[in-house]
Amino acid sequence: MSMAVVHGRARGSRPGEEVPAAVLFLILAAIPLVTSGYVVYILPQYMLYGILAMSLALLWGNVGILSFGQAAFFALGGYALGIAMKQPLGVNPAYVGLLVALAAAALVAGLVGWFLFSAGVRDSYFVLVTLALSIIAEQIAVSQSQWTGGWNGLFLMRMTLTLGSALEYPLYEDIPAYYAVLLVMVVTYTALRGLTRSRFGKILAGIRENESRMTSLGISTSLYKTLAFSVSAAVASLSGALYGMHSGFVSPSLGGVLFSTEIVVWVAIAGRSSLLAALIGGIAVSSISNLMSAITPQYWQLCIGILFIVVIAYFRGGVAAALPSLVERFRSQP
Amino acid sequence: MGSFLGVFMDATLITLVLALAASGLAVVFGLIGVVNMGHGAFLTLGAYFTWAATQAGLPFLLAVLVSALAVGAVGLLLEIALIRHFYDRPFETLLLTWGMFLIITELIKIAFGTDFRNIASPLPGTLSLGDLQIPAYRLVVSLFTILLLLGLGLLLFRTSMGLRVRALVQQQESAALLGLNIALLYRQVFTLGAALAGLAGALISPMLSIDPYIGNVFLVRSFFVVTLGGLGQILGGTVVGSFIIGGSETLFALFSSQVVAQTIVFVLAIVLLRFRPTGLLGSGRR
Repeated sequence: MSMAVVHGRARGSRPGEEVPAAVLFLILAAIPLVTSGYVVYILPQYMLYGILAMSLALLWGNVGILSFGQAAFFALGGYALGIAMKQPLGVNPAYVGLLVALAAAALVAGLVGWFLFSAGVRDSYFVLVTLALSIIAEQIAVSQSQWTGGWNGLFLMRMTLTLGSALEYPLYEDIPAYYAVLLVMVVTYTALRGLTRSRFGKILAGIRENESRMTSLGISTSLYKTLAFSVSAAVASLSGALYGMHSGFVSPSLGGVLFSTEIVVWVAIAGRSSLLAALIGGIAVSSISNLMSAITPQYWQLCIGILFIVVIAYFRGGVAAALPSLVERFRSQP
Repeated sequence: MGSFLGVFMDATLITLVLALAASGLAVVFGLIGVVNMGHGAFLTLGAYFTWAATQAGLPFLLAVLVSALAVGAVGLLLEIALIRHFYDRPFETLLLTWGMFLIITELIKIAFGTDFRNIASPLPGTLSLGDLQIPAYRLVVSLFTILLLLGLGLLLFRTSMGLRVRALVQQQESAALLGLNIALLYRQVFTLGAALAGLAGALISPMLSIDPYIGNVFLVRSFFVVTLGGLGQILGGTVVGSFIIGGSETLFALFSSQVVAQTIVFVLAIVLLRFRPTGLLGSGRR
């Protein structure tokens, strides 16, 4: 995975990210062929963290809006799918659940985003509000226990893919679930990458660079910021819904402040301005965290904290921006 | 009408305790605009220092004093090492101070473990006011908060240091041209804020079980207190903001559960922030 970063020169929407992305996807696709057991079980959950990280990078790297509330949408997705799958529905309840998860997150983010952006709430104030959103999400998950199970959380079943009566493909086994999540990850990455390179994405980058100029060009920046927040929330919600389905369990802490800021740490360390870097960051940091928490949980978290400060203070672009220049330096000294 | 008086007393005490917790942020964020996400960690640190000092046999008041000074010293160190390079970049400061929060929290976990710690209340009794029972310690801390806020007001409006800080807040460049040592002023204000957070954590510590995340409860609330009250409105703003965040929670909790009341208050805070971004007592300068 580090190879992918090295070759990526990942920054912004430059060309050249496709090759390392394809390499990463191929490596991930090959993993179940060479190994089995715990890795194949757990890796999809980290890929979903990677999608969650991309949802933040879309907002932070492309529009310059930092959200401390991505976990709120992640949890919203998990709970929406979980609650929908418990209802007696005519069609496949998991499909309905996924649609509800996407729509609910996009709607909530759209309302909150428009409410705030149209009044000029920005920067630190927006961070505070999103931090509060996380707390609100956690509190709702705790207090509305008739829906959410309160502190005990909510148990989910793995879904079954259906296509009318022609196809019925359960994801109960780990390998089908692995490839389903991988497919969603590839599609999400491709879609978001297309989005950042479209006219819409260019306007978002314009807002990041100089918002007042975009306004004077006649662009409703609050509308575009709201749309970006909505898309980002929907992606976070999608990853949360699939995470709940895959792990079989959602709990209030998934929406909480600590998890929300963990996402910020992944993206900051990996590089906020590249979707691929964020994706790799989400997968890599969370898998290493899992590995290290077994060995030395406390000192590992401390290292992450120190690394985070170093990145913020010295390497604004994170690993994705720092690696290419380091490689250059090595190359120039034979 | 006894219950009405009880609710009123409850709301007042909670308002003042929250004002105490927010006072450090009111100084750091309100005066010099540092979005200090480490504020909660400073509170937690104050509580743990107090616990360690009382375990070591220090009398409570001395432990509180030592904790406040120690957290002030931590704040001073962090200011010298990190914060001072980023005063002109508030967004980086936000992230850096969040990193400080992560590191301080992990160090607390390493040093003290994650078990709950309890400090025996130095004034365990209650005062009876008619048929109303008021916890004596909370009452004393609340009264102290009023004195503390008045003291901060005096410091800001009646001393030459306060005059310099206000000059800095209003016109940084002119203040520097007039020969004020801007860097030193920033350092003093940040250290004062950290010490106040340590003091608050120390005084609040006997009221609850201490764990490495107790500061989190106060972090977001403190920010809302300061922004709703109005940046720079140390005295009135902090009290008004604390009442909206803390006092109104007590009132809402009458009609619903505690958790629902908290949710309502946060939603209310977001709505107020949108319509009055400069705070209720703010001047509209920002």
